[in-house]
Amino acid sequence: MSAAAELIRGVSLVKRFGGIVANDTVEFSVVEGDLVGLIGPNGSGKSTLINMLTGHLPPDGGEVVVRGHEMRGQAAHLYAAMGVARTFQLTQLFGRMTVLENLLVPGLTRPGSTWRSVVQQARSTLDFLKLTHLEQLHAKNLSGGQQKLLELGRCMMLEPAILFLDEPFAGVHPHLRDQLITRIQELHEAGRTFVVVDHDMESILRLSKRLVVMARGRKIADGPPADVREDQAVLAAYAGS
Amino acid sequence: MRGLHIYILLAVAALALVFADRLSSYWMHVAIIAMFYGILASSWSLLAGYAGLFSLGHMAFASIGGYTSALLVQWYGIPIPVGMVAGVALCCVLGGLIGWVCLRMTGPYLAIFTLGFSEIVRIIFATEDDITAGMAGLHVERLFSTTSRLPYFYVAFALLVVSLLLMGVIVRSRWGLFLRAIREDEQAASASGVAVARFRILAFAIASGFAALAGSFYGHYIGILTPSIGGLDFMAVLVVMTVIGGMERLPTAVGGAFVVEFLLEVLRGYGQWRLPLFGIILLLTMRFARNGLLTPLWLRFVQLGEPRAVAATALRDVPQKDPAQ
Amino acid sequence: MTWDYIFVQVANGAVIGIIYALIAVGVTLIFSILKIVNFAHGDLYMLGGYCAYYFIALLGAPPLLAMLLSMATLFALAIVLERLLLTPLYSDATERKDEYGLIITFGLAFFLRNIAVIIFGPYPLKPPSFIPGVQHIGEMTVTNDRLFAGGVGIVLILALLYFMHRTIWGQALDAVSQSRESAAIVGINSRRFNSVAFGIGAALAAAAGALIAPIFSLAPDMGVLPNIHAFVIVILGGMGSVLGSIFAGILLGEAENLFTAFFPDPTRALAYTNAFGLLILMVVLIVRPQGFFGRRHLRME
Repeated sequence: MSAAAELIRGVSLVKRFGGIVANDTVEFSVVEGDLVGLIGPNGSGKSTLINMLTGHLPPDGGEVVVRGHEMRGQAAHLYAAMGVARTFQLTQLFGRMTVLENLLVPGLTRPGSTWRSVVQQARSTLDFLKLTHLEQLHAKNLSGGQQKLLELGRCMMLEPAILFLDEPFAGVHPHLRDQLITRIQELHEAGRTFVVVDHDMESILRLSKRLVVMARGRKIADGPPADVREDQAVLAAYAGS
Repeated sequence: MRGLHIYILLAVAALALVFADRLSSYWMHVAIIAMFYGILASSWSLLAGYAGLFSLGHMAFASIGGYTSALLVQWYGIPIPVGMVAGVALCCVLGGLIGWVCLRMTGPYLAIFTLGFSEIVRIIFATEDDITAGMAGLHVERLFSTTSRLPYFYVAFALLVVSLLLMGVIVRSRWGLFLRAIREDEQAASASGVAVARFRILAFAIASGFAALAGSFYGHYIGILTPSIGGLDFMAVLVVMTVIGGMERLPTAVGGAFVVEFLLEVLRGYGQWRLPLFGIILLLTMRFARNGLLTPLWLRFVQLGEPRAVAATALRDVPQKDPAQ
Repeated sequence: MTWDYIFVQVANGAVIGIIYALIAVGVTLIFSILKIVNFAHGDLYMLGGYCAYYFIALLGAPPLLAMLLSMATLFALAIVLERLLLTPLYSDATERKDEYGLIITFGLAFFLRNIAVIIFGPYPLKPPSFIPGVQHIGEMTVTNDRLFAGGVGIVLILALLYFMHRTIWGQALDAVSQSRESAAIVGINSRRFNSVAFGIGAALAAAAGALIAPIFSLAPDMGVLPNIHAFVIVILGGMGSVLGSIFAGILLGEAENLFTAFFPDPTRALAYTNAFGLLILMVVLIVRPQGFFGRRHLRME
């Protein structure tokens, strides 16, 4: 990590649920232009980490710094305003709003945005995702894969600096999965930074430039995918649990 | 012709204004009360239908607005419109406060909380009888000294139109979009940059303000206020109206208010049987036509004058087979 | 104010608390199986009270038998209502089930309350005592009806605990409350248990109504406040916890009765006692906005 600007940093993040320590002093930072894969067995604390980094869960200890700003006590929508976008593990769309309206919501939250420009941007986003023909459909009527695409589109409408994708490939038809991967790669080449959480090793390895592994609430490896795959601790975590 | 429905509505409104004086005093009263309910139903629809905040305290705000205006006018002799504005302002603040307090509550919890609030308000108004005259009823100065109902008709009409225009602008603006996003999924809305807390408080403040407007007008029209206006039965009637009409659109909510108030009068001969009857209609509507009985009619009405093809695409609210699958 | 007066208030508070708990346990049971908050529960309680009254007045049934008959009647009525109105809750095609359950039970409450005005009349009725007379304990005087209501209330709650723990039906209910899918896999027809849970909840409410009737009076709107009280208790006492409900019920009954006893203006004390209970509800909800309802399965302990 050298010249590239740091977008987000989690400092000694701690989260407990009852007696369970879901995140135990986790350090996590992402620089501009990164494409990070975040993996780990079920219950290893990946989603908890993402929820804290995007402002949806207040940490019990430590802090989140977004582009140099300390975010303690800030509501989730301020993270979004700072350019932190995210999708959810189980797709969370605005079900009884049209596909187009789903994209208008984040677009119109940006200060100084006008309806005309946001509608235009939403249409071109739909074009990019190849969802234009579904524009007037209620989001709840889309297929699972289309919903994942739309959720990605909703993130893009924020013109974010960094996108967190929580299990984007779960339950997605293989054909649409390839399309999703292509879209992510295109966006990445256009300069977007990503953190992708998934169980689908194949997709993660295809995508990521850097791999972070979590187990039992701790970060156990962090580095280029090739190195991490050889890491003994990682192998143990996957074989052992 | 595009927007034909707007011209039709304008024409109906003009006819109503021109021929209002031909209405018998009785039916004019019915129309005034219907418009009073129209303001309440549409503002409750803004809260419950658009923002998904199912408050059972709406009538409590109407009663607070009514008593505030009545008492201020009585104590300080201020002009009635000033009293009404004061009632509205107070309820905007109180509504915002309630909205703020119940930020973390959803669904049934919000309903229970606001139910508790509304019963407390009712109990206070009923018990502090040296101020509010309790169940005996508070005499309220009437808006006009004439016995004719015509001026009240015009005022009620103006208040309803202005309320609907204001709320219509809100729900068609980005605020309306944000409110619906909050209704659908608060977490996703905040991830999309919507200031959820601010808009929930705003929805409560705005809706409560309109409730107070209706309540204060009611007091200065009828001339007497009792605590029961903030009670559970009035609230239930409001729910009946809004749900039967269709709670997710302002015009259908107002339509529901008109239809139910009209039926209440037509069925006057059945006396007490009317309320359980409307209870049954509410249950049947929820069971078999959840979007409201007027919603399909309204959607057709809006399509009037549009080319067929456009009408067909915009009407599809139903799941469609996606060609890519 | 003498200590005796306070002791009497404490005793009365305990009895009312047990009655509250009886209503609240039904709300809990219905919530854990059907996943809805029943806004019509207080009106089932009201109907239970009237049913018992008419069994006594028209058939000349002894009060205790009337209570049991009233429980059976409400059990059956509740199952009919559940079949007619609540079945969409179990269909995947129904969206926003929270909202559906809310409006449908709220509408049901409105219907029952107003049909009761027509059938039973708006004026308060008072059935005969279960056991006339009073008991003197030391210096205090407590009516037999209150003692009887408290006693029978406890017996009914114990019977429910026995049912939940020691019978196959109770175990099956518990299974359904924890996971509808798993219960279906082991061959439990969960739809039947929706009816059973709603019916039992209604029967308990009916018992409460029958027990309270000789103490207070019957009126069509008598269910409104106990319904809200039941919510307070369930939220305060812990979802699915019967002991918690009893504890919270008694706590609330005591708090209210002592509030009445100590309120400076006696002419307003009674009115504000109700407001006081509501205030507790609001405060509890502010502190715990998801209530204990949040715990979505039933643990009868």
